[in-house]
Formats: sequence, C-alpha cells, structure tokens
Amino acid sequence: MSRPRWSPRPASAVPPAVRRPLAAAGLLLAVALCALCLGTPSLSPAELPGALGGSGLTSTVVTELRLPRLVLALVAGACLGAAGLVLQEALRNPLAVPEMLGVSSGAALGVAAPLVLALSLPAAVEPLLALGGAAFGGVLTLLAAGFGRSPSAVLLTGAAVAAALQAALLVLMVLADQLDLQLIYRYLLGSLSARTWDDVTGLGPWLAVSVPALVLCAPVLSVLRLGDDDARAVGVRVRRARLAALGLAVLLIAPVVAVCGPVAWVGFLAPHLARRLRPGSGAAGWLPWSAVCGALVVAGADLPARLALAPVETPVGAWTALLGVPAGVVLLRRGDRGPARPGRGVGNRVHSATGPAVRDGESGAVPARNREAAYRAPAAPRAGVPGEAVRE
Amino acid sequence: MTGATQAAAARRAPRRTARLFVLLALLALAAGCAALVAGRALPASGVWEVLRGGGDPTSRHIVLNLRLPRALVALVAGASLGLAGTVLQSALRNPLAGPEVTGVTPGAVLGAVAATGLGFAGWHSPAAVVVAAGLGGFAGAGLLWLLAGRERGDPAQTAVYGVLVSAVLSGLTAVVLLVAPGELGSVVQWLVGSTEGRVWPHWRLLWPWAAVWAAATYALAAPLTLLRCGDEQAAAAGVHTGRARIAALVCAVALTAGAVSVVGALGFVGLLVPHLAFALLGADLRTVLPGAALLGAVVVCGADAGAQGLSQGLAHALDSDRLSVPVGAVTTCAGAVLLLIVARRRVDDR
Repeated sequence: MSRPRWSPRPASAVPPAVRRPLAAAGLLLAVALCALCLGTPSLSPAELPGALGGSGLTSTVVTELRLPRLVLALVAGACLGAAGLVLQEALRNPLAVPEMLGVSSGAALGVAAPLVLALSLPAAVEPLLALGGAAFGGVLTLLAAGFGRSPSAVLLTGAAVAAALQAALLVLMVLADQLDLQLIYRYLLGSLSARTWDDVTGLGPWLAVSVPALVLCAPVLSVLRLGDDDARAVGVRVRRARLAALGLAVLLIAPVVAVCGPVAWVGFLAPHLARRLRPGSGAAGWLPWSAVCGALVVAGADLPARLALAPVETPVGAWTALLGVPAGVVLLRRGDRGPARPGRGVGNRVHSATGPAVRDGESGAVPARNREAAYRAPAAPRAGVPGEAVRE
Repeated sequence: MTGATQAAAARRAPRRTARLFVLLALLALAAGCAALVAGRALPASGVWEVLRGGGDPTSRHIVLNLRLPRALVALVAGASLGLAGTVLQSALRNPLAGPEVTGVTPGAVLGAVAATGLGFAGWHSPAAVVVAAGLGGFAGAGLLWLLAGRERGDPAQTAVYGVLVSAVLSGLTAVVLLVAPGELGSVVQWLVGSTEGRVWPHWRLLWPWAAVWAAATYALAAPLTLLRCGDEQAAAAGVHTGRARIAALVCAVALTAGAVSVVGALGFVGLLVPHLAFALLGADLRTVLPGAALLGAVVVCGADAGAQGLSQGLAHALDSDRLSVPVGAVTTCAGAVLLLIVARRRVDDR
C-alpha cells in the first residue's frame, strides 16, 4: 500500500519527537563549539579539552573569557525566551514583548543615571541599581495597570511607562558626553562583551527562584490563553494568575537585562519559533522549547557580534535585530500561509478549532487581533474608523 | 442622534470649524511667542525691547539669530509631521499608521546617520542630509510596502510589519553608529529629536521643502477623503486608487524626511496629532489637513517652549548648567500620558 498522500515527508526511522530534541542539542553543541574555538587565538575542536583543563594563556582565554560569555548568552537567551512566552500567553497577544513591560527601560535608566550624573557610588551598588530600575519599571507598570485587570490595559500601560522612562533616558543621553554616550548606547543595544564569571554567578539566586516558579506556572498559562471567562469557569482566579505570570516575567527579565542590557527581539522570536516547532502542544510544551530557542538565538547572534568586525565588538542586540527579525518575518508569513495555522493560535481561535466553523473562525480572528493590536493605536478614537467618514 | 439635531449640527458646523481654526492659529502664535520668550539668557522684557528695534547687539543676536529661527523650525517641523501622519493614516486607512511605525522615520534617521557617518554630509552641508533622509525614508516605506504584500488591507498586520521594519532599520542605524563612533555625539540628536541650535540655514532649507510638499498634499485632500471611505467607494467616485495612494505616500515620506533631517525623530507627534485633528475637525481632509498642520505646529513648538522652561527650572533647582531637556523627551512624555489615559478609559469601559 502506498503512503497516504498527506504525509509531509518520507517517514524516517527516527520519530519527530526524538529528532527535534536531537537537532536542537546538535545545534546547541555546534554553537557552543564555535563560541569556544573561534576568535584569537583560534583553536581546533581537538585542542579544546586540553585548553579547558590546562593552564597558560590559551586556557585562560577559553575558561575565563569565552566560557562565561557562552554560559551567560545561553542563560540570558533562555530567560528572555521563557519570559516572552509567559508574557504572550498571559496577555493573549502575540506582540507582547518584554520591552513593553517597562522593565528594560527601567534597567537602562538605572545604568545610565549614575554614569551621566557622575554620582560616585560604591562598586557593589551599581549592578543593584540596574536591577532596582528594572524592578521599578515592572512594578510601576503592574501598579498603573491595576494589577493585571485586563490584558490590553497591561499592554497599553506598559507602553506608556516604557515611553515615559524612555523620555527620561533621552534627557540623560543628551546630557552625556561622548564616552558615556558610547557606553549607554552599547548597553541599550545589549552586549555580552567583557562579562565574567561574577556576572554569571550573580544570576544564580534569581534563577533558583524563577525556575521553580516557572514550572509551577506553566499549567495555569495554558488555561489563561482560553480567555478570561473560560479560565474562570475552569476554576482559575484569573487576575491573580495573570499577576503571578507577569511578576514571574519581570523576575526573569530584570536580572538578565541588568547584566547584558535589553537584547532586542529574543523575547518576541523565541516563542514564535517554539510554536512553529511544536504546533500541537500547549503552553507547558512550548515553554522549554522557547527557552532553548532563546538560548540558541542569543548564543548564535553573539558569534557575529564577537567576530564580524573583529577586533571591534558589536552589540549582540544589533545582530538579533538584523538576523532575527527577517527570520521572524519569514516565520510569520509561512505561518500565515500554512493550511491549519498551527501554533499561531492566540487564544481567539481555540473556540472555533473544530468542524465547519474553522473558516468563520479564521476570518473572525482578524478583528479580534485588531482589537488586541490596537494598543499601538493609542488615541485610536472614533476618528480612525473608516465608517465614520461615510457617515459624515 | 435624531434627524433634527443632526441638521442643526450641520448648520453649525462651518462656523464651529472657522472658530476652531482661529483658535488653533492663535494657539500656534502663542506657542511661537512662548518659544521666543523661553530661554535662559534673556528675560521677556529684553525680547520685547529687541522686537521693537532696540536692545544691545548681544540680545539682538540671541533673539533674531538664535530664538526666532528655532521657533520657526519647530513650527514648520511640527506642521510637517502632523500632515505626514494624517496623510499616512488616511492613505493606508490605518489608525495605527504614524511615520514611526511605517518605517519612514527610522529609515530617515538611518539615511541621515549613514550619510553623516560615512562622510557624505554633515552640519556644513544640510542639503545632503535632507536628501539622505528622504532616500532612507523612501527605502523604509518601500520595505514595508514589499513586506506587507497582499495583506495591506489589514491594519493590525501592517502595524506588525511596520514594527519589524523599524526594528531592522534601527539595528542598521546601531551598526552604522558603532562602525563610525566618532559621530555618535553629533548624531544622537537625530535619535532624540531636538531643536537645540537650529539656525537660519536650517530654516531656509526646511520651509521651501515643507511648503512645496504641503501644497502637494493639500491638492490630494479630496481623493484622500474618498480613499478613507474604502477603495471601492473611491474607485466608484472616479479616483485612481493606486495612483492616489502612491502620490499620498510620496508626500508623506517627503514631509517626514524634511522634518526628521532637521529636528530628528520626535516621538509620538506623527501618530497622535492626526487623531486629535480627526476628533476635532471631522473626517473631511480639506479641513483636517490644515488643522493637523496647525495642531502639529502647536504641539511641537509648545513642547519646545515647555522643554526650555523645564530645563531652566531644573538647572535652577539642581544648580547644574549643562542640563537641557530635548523636545523629543517632552513629546514622548506627553505621548505616554495620553497612552495612560487611553488605557484607563479602556479599563473603565469594561
């Protein structure tokens, strides 16, 4: 009997459930090898174990410079990817990005203010300032949004808080002299250069809190995406659950942004990648994949950041924007063309996932998405609606 | 609304519009005066003295060569941005389409920054900056046009692509800035939006450009009004929809590029001013376009005056001389406040 026609590709001996983790692990290994071997001095993979264990200049470069940087890239990417998924699921909006919570701007303000105003602070306080700024921005957003009352209110308020903090940052940037400006600008784009083991170990306690919370939170996320009413019917206290998810996202993003700066677009890309890779599963299934994708994206983007214009370091955030966004566009477009639009369901579609209603659901999803994306139309008052023009 | 009140409203409409225009013009004048008076070196009495023909050479120089061109540039740049935003929102039939989210402003910034960084242009050749900003703006808009493809009709989708295009363009700007870091200090004002130190050459460059394109835009007002009603209606009324839309986009990009090349990327002006104008003046672009221009001028010039007053107060309070608040910070802050109000209102609606 011939293979059924709908089979997308020849069946291989390895089922996809095994193949995908293997492929991801292979990619991670390749990126890690490149990160550890390339650069000055360049090593061959065979020399790597000797350099990791031995002593001398080469091994110092590998163990004290390249290894912490690689670990930091992986951890930061994983945190941002997971936080992006938590945000998108909790707010039921595919456009919710970590930058929209005010966390990144707050951290940037915390870094820039002492630098520009030439405040003399003890060295121990400075990383805490970035962290404090990040927490301040996040809490401010949550406070102003009435602690997660409705998803769109959270997004709008987040945009407003981010804009206000941005304005303060602009004032500081105009004040700054050339050198400070370079530092701030690099930090704002997200950079992993010259980070040491101290930075990595500083993330430890935060991860110890946030990872168990993430595991506890994952099942609730799958329920939240059904919509507030349905989630309530299932027995979830929606506001409290959403508040917990948002707080968790802040907890994940803040320490990372404090150390490496707001690495752009990882929190947006990783969840979309995860949904493409695992179309069938829910939020709990996407979460680890989103973390892995984020880690891959950041570690992969750090390679050109380190090597492309050597000896000049370029910020990793510029490369995630330059390489990641086109990749995201391709993904979005392919996702739109796909027959069943697997994983791009944003909650609205869940209701109409069966039977002949699918077609209606598809067209009906557009106004719903309009409504959600309308947080970009701040004042979108009646004036913007074309129907208004007809009436006049 | 009942028929009778509607008819009464229709009778009252022209007078109300005229009154609004007078009010807006007065406001623009007031903003200009405020920008003229604000500043730390010369008090208001000194300005009045100079305007009546007196004053010592220093104060004459301050008022006539520094403050006057600055206020005029702020007025014209605001008008350009307001017009461009209105045209974009009408032509794309998308309430979310400001110059910032359609790739026009980031493209113009990229063009200006790249031309300066690579040495093709600089403060001594402002015309080259305008040309580069224009090219960049067209490139940004073109990129979005290509990307949006068949989904141009869906406003939310276009907005998503616009954000993505803007992200790529600002990533490119970052790379250019890091390759030529020597320019960062002089270039940061394009990223921020500032009217600091704009003098007569900038004004001479900006106003003919803005005037020509504003006239072209006004000539398109009637087809644009029809385009707002939908492509089918516009086509039925005899408008070449494709041609009209492209002409409108060219005007919008040119206006934005002119404003950005002189004052930089002012946040939120191009997005919020059109909404205000539509809310105040209805949907007929023949009245909305001049209204949006006046409103934009009022907003930017008022923000400039406010920024100067604020930096004066802050400098006094903090006792530091180099503190100066850029206009971009004030407009961004105003945008943030408006966003917060909208968010509050949305919550109350539920």
